[in-house]
Amino acid sequence: MYGSLRASEFVGVLAILVAGFALPFMLPEYFLYTGNMLMTYAVLAIGLDLLIGWSGQFAFAHIAFFGIGIYGTAILESRLGVPYLLSALASALIAGGAGLLIGFPAARLKTVYLALATYAFAECAQWVFRTWDPVTGGSDGLRFNPPVIFGYETGTDGAAFPVVAIILALVVTATLYLAKSKLGRHMCAIRDSEHVASASGIDVRGIKVATFAISAVFASIAGSAYTLFQSFINADVLGASQLVTVLTMVVIGGSSSIAGVLLGVVVVGFLPEILRAMPHSLLVWQEFIYGAILVAAIVFMPQGLWGLFRQRIAARPRRHDRSARESPAVRPVPETSP
Amino acid sequence: MILQATLSGIVMGCVYALIALSLVIIYKSTDVVNFAAGEFVMIAGYLGLLLLDHFGLNYPLMVVLTVTLMFAFGALFERTALNKIVGFKYAAEAALVPMVVATIGLSFMLKGAVRVIPSTEEVLRLPPLFSGPPVFFANIVLQRQDIGIVIVAVLVMIALTLGFNFTAIGKALRATSQNPRAAALIGIPVKRMRMMAWGLASGLAGISGILLSPKLLMTPDMGNVVMLGIAASIVGGFTSLVGCVIGGIVLGVVQNLIGIFVSPQAIAVTPFFIIMLVLVMRPNGLFGEAMRLKKV
Repeated sequence: MYGSLRASEFVGVLAILVAGFALPFMLPEYFLYTGNMLMTYAVLAIGLDLLIGWSGQFAFAHIAFFGIGIYGTAILESRLGVPYLLSALASALIAGGAGLLIGFPAARLKTVYLALATYAFAECAQWVFRTWDPVTGGSDGLRFNPPVIFGYETGTDGAAFPVVAIILALVVTATLYLAKSKLGRHMCAIRDSEHVASASGIDVRGIKVATFAISAVFASIAGSAYTLFQSFINADVLGASQLVTVLTMVVIGGSSSIAGVLLGVVVVGFLPEILRAMPHSLLVWQEFIYGAILVAAIVFMPQGLWGLFRQRIAARPRRHDRSARESPAVRPVPETSP
Repeated sequence: MILQATLSGIVMGCVYALIALSLVIIYKSTDVVNFAAGEFVMIAGYLGLLLLDHFGLNYPLMVVLTVTLMFAFGALFERTALNKIVGFKYAAEAALVPMVVATIGLSFMLKGAVRVIPSTEEVLRLPPLFSGPPVFFANIVLQRQDIGIVIVAVLVMIALTLGFNFTAIGKALRATSQNPRAAALIGIPVKRMRMMAWGLASGLAGISGILLSPKLLMTPDMGNVVMLGIAASIVGGFTSLVGCVIGGIVLGVVQNLIGIFVSPQAIAVTPFFIIMLVLVMRPNGLFGEAMRLKKV
């Protein structure tokens, strides 16, 4: 069905908003910081999933656009005094433009070549962030002031929490609409078979480039959200390990489904916190255990947690056949002509 | 100066080429980029040191044992983890993302396991294959260990060429990578071949580890060298064994020359820049075959 959101989706978005406004009064500051971080990761992961899960493009450049979002917003806002929303918009446009630029050559590449070219782009971008001293502060990093949005200052984690939640809710809503749009279905068609898609008249190259740009804009929005509750950025944050974290979230949660990605963000995001709470003698094994969990999760749930969950539901007999309507764009979407 | 830099670039390039060969063998036979290859190199270095220092083996025995252990380890990982992901599908393009994430997980495991051992925090050094005073040619200084690296790398490459072209197992490996289904039909044990390819590639990474560890600072993070292997194989085209030898050497030389002519700071970003440049101009690498359509 094109157009409107289903009730369950609407409730989901509403839940994010309610949590955003209620939780700052209920949780201590540290949890709010973790929550902000997780919501930022969620925006990043949803954007990455557009490429990996939806249109099947195994691209790694995401973290570079996150960096553009952070540095762009921080520099415009803090150094040039541009209002927050405008600087976020400008960064998103810059990132989207960079995404387009990357998209054109990247649309020619496939599988490993695409993965490695985009990964190389991310590394080059990190190098630029680290060495472009006059603009990014180089390896010393960049400090910035807490943004003020219409007189509302977001210096603390508690103050930033509702704003980050609104951003996440907006991104989720946009993605839900995208899933139902022609563009979203074309993306799925390209993932399922590029050749069939192009044979049925889909502009494969154009859709791929558009996906790159949209995903870059999402990453930049995540970067702008990051500046709400942080006051310092260093190029080390934008490295391969961060990228791996986001990729893990998408894959462990379950790609090409928003619920799956959000689940992955929560599970993978809390994993380091849980590992940190382990007995001290086990603490040295933290990295090993993280890797082992990663391998085990992939081996035993290749479809991700959400895929496993949905399989269970599908296996259970139902009175009405609602499962077909309830699962989002994961299954191959049949070609529909409007 | 330039000649000296070129020569030392060729030496490093030989090691990159070995890592690239390890990556390409895995990619050709199982369609996955092994992001843990750098950690295989790292593990082999530490393993060699352990065998030398702790168990008091002599050098040749250590090399043989390290490579054997690495072979077994790679084969085991393929069998226990990757095989499960691929299931019974032979054309595994859809499984690329999970498999790559699995290798990334493995790299975390290896790094984590090494970090647990307290002595790895100290500066350790694996003794080189050949030690002794450097050799002088006119005004060029050649380290003995560098000569050793080139000799070993060339021997390994010759052995691989002979093995792939003239032995039954080598031919079976090539058949498996060209068309797994047809290979299975004529009675080649495809699953065992995939394991074999991983073992072979891990053994190669092991040799690179033994060659590289005396030259680099040994740390649990030295696995980052995998990017140089990847860059070398991209230049070579990721499907061509000859290509990645050339790619490795070109990369080693270019890196050293950039260090001289541009800035030492730019060395770190060179491999990535080369990856992008090559892929934008030639999407299949310089020596790679055009992407075949495996399924619609």
